[in-house]
Amino acid sequence: MLLALLISNSVGNILVERYHGVPAEERLHWRSFLVKLGADNLKGAKNEELLVASHKSVYIVYTVLGDVSVYVVGKDEYDELALAEVIFVITSTIKDVCGKLPSERLFLDKYGKICQCLDEIVWTGILENTDKDRIKRLIRLKPPAEF
Amino acid sequence: MAQPLVKKDDDRDDEAEYSPFLGIEKGAVLQEARVFNDPQLDPRRCSQVITKLLYLLNQGETFTKVEATEVFFAVTKLFQSRDIGLRRMVYLMIKELSPSADEVIIVTSSLMKDMNSKTDMYRANAIRVLCRITDGTLLTQIERYLKQAIVDKNPVVASAALVSGIHLLQTNPEIVKRWSNEVQEAVQSRAALVQFHALGLLHQIRQNDRLAVSKLVTSLTRGTVRSPLAQCLLIRYTSQVIRESATSTQTGDRPFYDFLEGCLRHKAEMVIFEAARAITELNGVTSRELTPAITVLQLFLSSSKPVLRFAAVRTLNKVAMTHPMAVTNCNIDMESLISDQNRSIATLAITTLLKTGNESSVERLMKQITNFMSDIADEFKIVVVEAIRSLCLKFPLKYRSLMNFLSNILREEGGFEYKKAIVDSIVILIRDIPDAKESGLLHLCEFIEDCEFTYLSTQILHFLGIEGPKTSDPSKYIRYIYNRVHLENATVRASAVSTLAKFGAMVDSLKPRIFVLLRRCLFDSDDEVRDRATLYLNTLGGDGSVVETDKDVKDFLFGSLDLPLVNFETSLKNYEPSEEPFDINSVPKEIKSQPLAEKKAPGKKPTGLGAPPTAPASTVDAYEKLLSAIPEFADFGKLFKSSAPVELTEAETEYSVNVVKHIFDGHVVFQYNCTNTIPEQLLEQVTVVVDASEAEEFSQVVTKPLRALPYDTPGQIFVAFEKPEGVPAVGKFSNMLRFTVKEVDTTTGEAEEDGVEDEYQLEDLEVVAADYMLRVGVSNFRNAWENMGADCERVDEYGLGPRESLTEAVNAVINLLGMQPCEGTEVVPSNSRSHTSLLSGVYIGNVRVLVRIAFGIDGPKEVAMKLAVRSEDEAVSDAIHEIVASG
Repeated sequence: MLLALLISNSVGNILVERYHGVPAEERLHWRSFLVKLGADNLKGAKNEELLVASHKSVYIVYTVLGDVSVYVVGKDEYDELALAEVIFVITSTIKDVCGKLPSERLFLDKYGKICQCLDEIVWTGILENTDKDRIKRLIRLKPPAEF
Repeated sequence: MAQPLVKKDDDRDDEAEYSPFLGIEKGAVLQEARVFNDPQLDPRRCSQVITKLLYLLNQGETFTKVEATEVFFAVTKLFQSRDIGLRRMVYLMIKELSPSADEVIIVTSSLMKDMNSKTDMYRANAIRVLCRITDGTLLTQIERYLKQAIVDKNPVVASAALVSGIHLLQTNPEIVKRWSNEVQEAVQSRAALVQFHALGLLHQIRQNDRLAVSKLVTSLTRGTVRSPLAQCLLIRYTSQVIRESATSTQTGDRPFYDFLEGCLRHKAEMVIFEAARAITELNGVTSRELTPAITVLQLFLSSSKPVLRFAAVRTLNKVAMTHPMAVTNCNIDMESLISDQNRSIATLAITTLLKTGNESSVERLMKQITNFMSDIADEFKIVVVEAIRSLCLKFPLKYRSLMNFLSNILREEGGFEYKKAIVDSIVILIRDIPDAKESGLLHLCEFIEDCEFTYLSTQILHFLGIEGPKTSDPSKYIRYIYNRVHLENATVRASAVSTLAKFGAMVDSLKPRIFVLLRRCLFDSDDEVRDRATLYLNTLGGDGSVVETDKDVKDFLFGSLDLPLVNFETSLKNYEPSEEPFDINSVPKEIKSQPLAEKKAPGKKPTGLGAPPTAPASTVDAYEKLLSAIPEFADFGKLFKSSAPVELTEAETEYSVNVVKHIFDGHVVFQYNCTNTIPEQLLEQVTVVVDASEAEEFSQVVTKPLRALPYDTPGQIFVAFEKPEGVPAVGKFSNMLRFTVKEVDTTTGEAEEDGVEDEYQLEDLEVVAADYMLRVGVSNFRNAWENMGADCERVDEYGLGPRESLTEAVNAVINLLGMQPCEGTEVVPSNSRSHTSLLSGVYIGNVRVLVRIAFGIDGPKEVAMKLAVRSEDEAVSDAIHEIVASG
């Protein structure tokens, strides 16, 4: 299960936050845990360089992309390697939508489109699409090219 | 909440400085949402408003019921628009709003229409939305379409239906289970992701049907799996099948191993890892099976991708717990990871090295760790501390440098959990390594001089009270304890008073001085402190002169409260203040259900302070209490050993029964822990009929049946046997559970009047020689061996016949004897032709036994060993040889 997907700006303010299978009362803990993790480790990290951690039986993969930080949390079959796959789809899609590494402004300008993409990538805690070109078509309600 | 962007440097290009959502406010956006009702819809504007609503929701903003309903109704109007971009937004918005059941009806018809649309993508999205908001009744209406969608040609539609299925299986399993034919077909899909989703769903549908899962795995491992993600799932399911079939095919080749090994050469890293991990987690994995997996993992240790390094070191870390020798080849790669930028990787590398390192590398490792500790977070530090504790127990001779390390980090900054982990570790080392006691206690004393955590101070004071008086010079601790009375809060002061009293009781020569100190405490500002001081001054007796303390007083100070705390609490709550004082003897001693320690004991980490010494002992304590509460067993004497629970039923049967063997000098008590897992049944007059015809030296003396065994409330039956005193008698016992069963109406919980007598066959139980041996380690085997002397030494050689490996032979002998391996000698380095194991234990009659076994293996796997036994009694040395000779 993909438990959480969180995108924040460079100072830790939340831009997008989606949970699945995380009780409402635990979400705030996760949010602050992730943001702190980012603050401690992402400084000086290169764009799209993946960082990884585990907390109890849960895995976390996170990275920085332009002005935003992306975190994904998973457990069971969504271990660090599956999460690396997920975060790769997310970052490449965001870059694609924004046309370059996103500044916070650019990210917010494309906010609606990014939400649609995320909806195609992760749905109810399950990875649904992994190819950015296909996602680009899906959000325009076009069938995948190979079909 | 997101804040406006900070003003950027002037030379940055001209992107506007402010967020498009600057000053966004819920009320205003809800007002704007009225555009959804316009007769002439403006798709662009509507999309913008939805984006704003999404932004608000993603920021954690919530809508009231009224607001949500209003927005939802307005959004449904947008189905009128034919604008594709807007439709996509509408789908997303409805999912985010998750309308309530009574509202869903408004949108159902529109979605049903889309679900049958010719446009594939409308179908896919409508399925996702419907499944998100649907309930059981609606689901039966759309089930037909969903089944079609699962086998739809368009992979997006199929995936949408399959993922919805995974989601719906939680809420409506009986419906989704009906789709298994379609899902089965989808597993064969040529589209990679469809296959991945279908496989996940099919496994969930069939997870309780072992045969079906086994068939699924068998067919897929022969066929082709297109997506690496699906291949990973397949590997997981394969391991599950291997686990479940392992018992029946112990001897031959492991089924599916070749498949797993083949996956190690897959092109996707994800698959390689999954396979390597699966191999390392195989039950009783051999070193031959492990080697290829370790080799790929070792390569990944030096990968440029942090995720791969992390995954590799995490897996090796786990392997190191069970097969430390298999991992030693990777030590050099792992040492370079200590400086890895990603601290999670570095921590895992360190803890793995601590597990695989040998005695000579301890000092070097500690040096590296010292530098590392300063720049990691507390939660990582705790992991390191725990690893150091295990290392110290493994190499007790190195206690000095490891204890110094612990005391150094104890002085540095850190939070409660971290400090507690260090203190716990020091306490465990003090308990297990006698030589470390004095220095350890002094480290703890120094710590409480400047400790900000009341809990830790009180726990250390309690521990000092027990261990301090037994040291060579107890007086040196008094200063630290008495300082607490001056400097700390009331809770710590009260603890300090109790600790002082314990010193007074145990060390007669200190008593006069302790009295002086305790008298000063009578003027404390806190009444608990004063009360304790008064109590102890009165109980210690002797009015401050050097006299021996009464046994009763010592029992009072050091004895454990011989009552279940829950019962005690209830009795105290029920007590009404009156002339008559509370009588502690009125508290019932019977423990209602199974003691917790027993359930949790396996795999439990040894806790430090607050818990009685080490985990096994705490279980023994619980058993001792349990047995002492039964009058029939009162004259059996002291409990020598309690075995780990032995299961007498298979998992998931109607009645679950396990048995604990309690060994006394002249008796054996079987404690049958029974659980009734059928809600519709109440069992009464439950007993175990034991047939001891294959255990000649035992004769049954007492049976304590269970009056009633309701559903899910564990109960215990005891059967006691007499055996020749001090003799390690062995034998086999067959067991039959006999009871009266009564039907229970689960709605009212009432049982019927009449019951039927019934029986239930349990597995046989054996009392073996190892039951008469306590696993007690020694910190320095060589010293202990020399001190024991060769007077009662017995040496002989044995042939063990053909064996799978040296490791298997070593483990078999250790288990046969039931002794504690010392200094890590239970682990056989891979490819060794010979090995020496050092074992220690206490034999019945409290006779200490040390064993040194030299194993050797030759070409055709014939194992021979030379067994040298030293003990305090030659009869016992002979007995150990007899165990081996007859085993």
